[in-house]
Amino acid sequence: MADYEAIKALHHSLPPFQPVVNVGLLPYIAFLLLALTFVLAFYFSTLPKSTSTIPTKEVPVALVASVLGGFGVVAMFCTVGVYV
Amino acid sequence: MLQCWRALTLFLLVSAASVFAASSLSFENSAIVRTVDLGGSLVHVTTTFAAKALEPKASAYTITLPEDEIQRTSWLEVKIKGQQQPLTVKYGGAPADGKFYNLDVQLPNPVEVDSTVNIVLETIQTHATYPWPERAAQQDEQSLKYNTTLFVLSPYKTNVQRTKVKSPSPEVRSYTTPKDVDAFTLESPVTKSGATITYGPYNNLPVSATNEWVTKNQQLIGIHYKYDYPVLELTQVKRVAEISHWGANLNIQDDIVLYNAGPELKGHFSRLEHQTQSFYKRAAAHVIPALSLHLPAGIHDVYYYDLVGNVSTSRLRAAPSVPKNSRSNQYSVMELRPRYPLLGGWNYTFTLGWDSPLADSASYDASTGKYIVQVPIMTDVPGSVVNECEVKIILPEGATDVEHVLPFPAVSTEESTHITYLDTLGRPVITFKYKNLTTKHAKPIYVSYKVPSSAHLRKPVAVATALLGLFVFGMFARRVDLTLHKKTA
Repeated sequence: MADYEAIKALHHSLPPFQPVVNVGLLPYIAFLLLALTFVLAFYFSTLPKSTSTIPTKEVPVALVASVLGGFGVVAMFCTVGVYV
Repeated sequence: MLQCWRALTLFLLVSAASVFAASSLSFENSAIVRTVDLGGSLVHVTTTFAAKALEPKASAYTITLPEDEIQRTSWLEVKIKGQQQPLTVKYGGAPADGKFYNLDVQLPNPVEVDSTVNIVLETIQTHATYPWPERAAQQDEQSLKYNTTLFVLSPYKTNVQRTKVKSPSPEVRSYTTPKDVDAFTLESPVTKSGATITYGPYNNLPVSATNEWVTKNQQLIGIHYKYDYPVLELTQVKRVAEISHWGANLNIQDDIVLYNAGPELKGHFSRLEHQTQSFYKRAAAHVIPALSLHLPAGIHDVYYYDLVGNVSTSRLRAAPSVPKNSRSNQYSVMELRPRYPLLGGWNYTFTLGWDSPLADSASYDASTGKYIVQVPIMTDVPGSVVNECEVKIILPEGATDVEHVLPFPAVSTEESTHITYLDTLGRPVITFKYKNLTTKHAKPIYVSYKVPSSAHLRKPVAVATALLGLFVFGMFARRVDLTLHKKTA
């Protein structure tokens, strides 16, 4: 019982939870990131096939597009109400 | 014995199976007053013991409760009259295998000889009343019966005791008159005034917590009273609380089975009769057309559906969000109107859920890196009992150092993993199971956990990996030649 009262008092005294990014901004972040991902994916599809074995332009474009897309999809899920 | 024990562990603050030999010389009860507040599903019993100490430095007082009363009790608290702090109660064993159990109360200050201390035992009994007559037509009245024992048992001598039974309405259909109590009173053994029926005063009871005294003198008394409010039982409540750090959201979803524990419907359900009743506002107490729930403040996106689909006959009046520290009593009101009115003996199963900002329920301790979240165990439906309750708390993915503090012991606790959208590892889940919860049990559970930032980034990285996989597939695919070549003959 003392345990319960102690954690209740601790919970009341601590600052409230704050997310890493402001929830109100999430719809705009989602839109921006997904738009950028789409643009980069489109650009990726227009790149010429490089003759050497290492595709020098395709890989970095794909990496940037994936990272942006990852954050964009998570933000999109939160915007539509599926709080992941 | 084991069944009783399970009922006891639900509400005892400290349960130790030590047996204290209750000394009948340490106290003497100058007066015992028991007040029984009759209700529908819940009966509130308050017993006040005015105990005079006979021994110096007496510090533990023993209360004896009969077995059937303990089995019906789902909440118990002992206090000194006038003080707020509840006292520690220990299970004191069953003396000489009688059908009663001892509870040892630790008094905060030892009592001097010949001074009196007022100990108040407050209990809530569930499933103690039953409808009588058991079946009623749609327009009939609802009446309930309650049975209890006449005398309050005690391991000490009692000078005078009385029991007051308060009915919610002055229309009491019948009450039993005790017989053969001439040894304890020469006046009328029971009197009724208004809505209160008084059994007593009974004088000079000896040590009554013995089998022989009980078999010789104890009797059952019953009250048959009219009850004008719905008798509701929530047969099963399954609550799932999901915490999201990315969306800063706490989603709570209840799967509820509602049961009308009033008299069963006799005959057909007549829609015409029902419409006449609601038009002339003469609703019978055992017909429940709507339910009003008090949900937390600051909720949004409430959904209410049952097996058929969304139920549109509902209205939410949301209260604005309050910070978690505030002591305000604000609540949102959700009016539910099921597809059909709930008649006696009928069930209704539905799902009710809502989202609320996580800042209202969770806090962050920067020094230890721990998050503490408070999840309420149940939504209090006034005057009703929850037969079985399951609370599942789903923590964010990658939560470590999970600890929980319960306001009262649960029947069982389980840990498992739950997989949902965008999960790779699965989320840790704690499941608590409870039985027979009442309004006094509507308290929050506190869970503390840590989430490292690497676990926090797991979701975007998982989605990014999937997208990268698509891009790599694209890189291979565009290098594969699928055009048809003309075969030169």
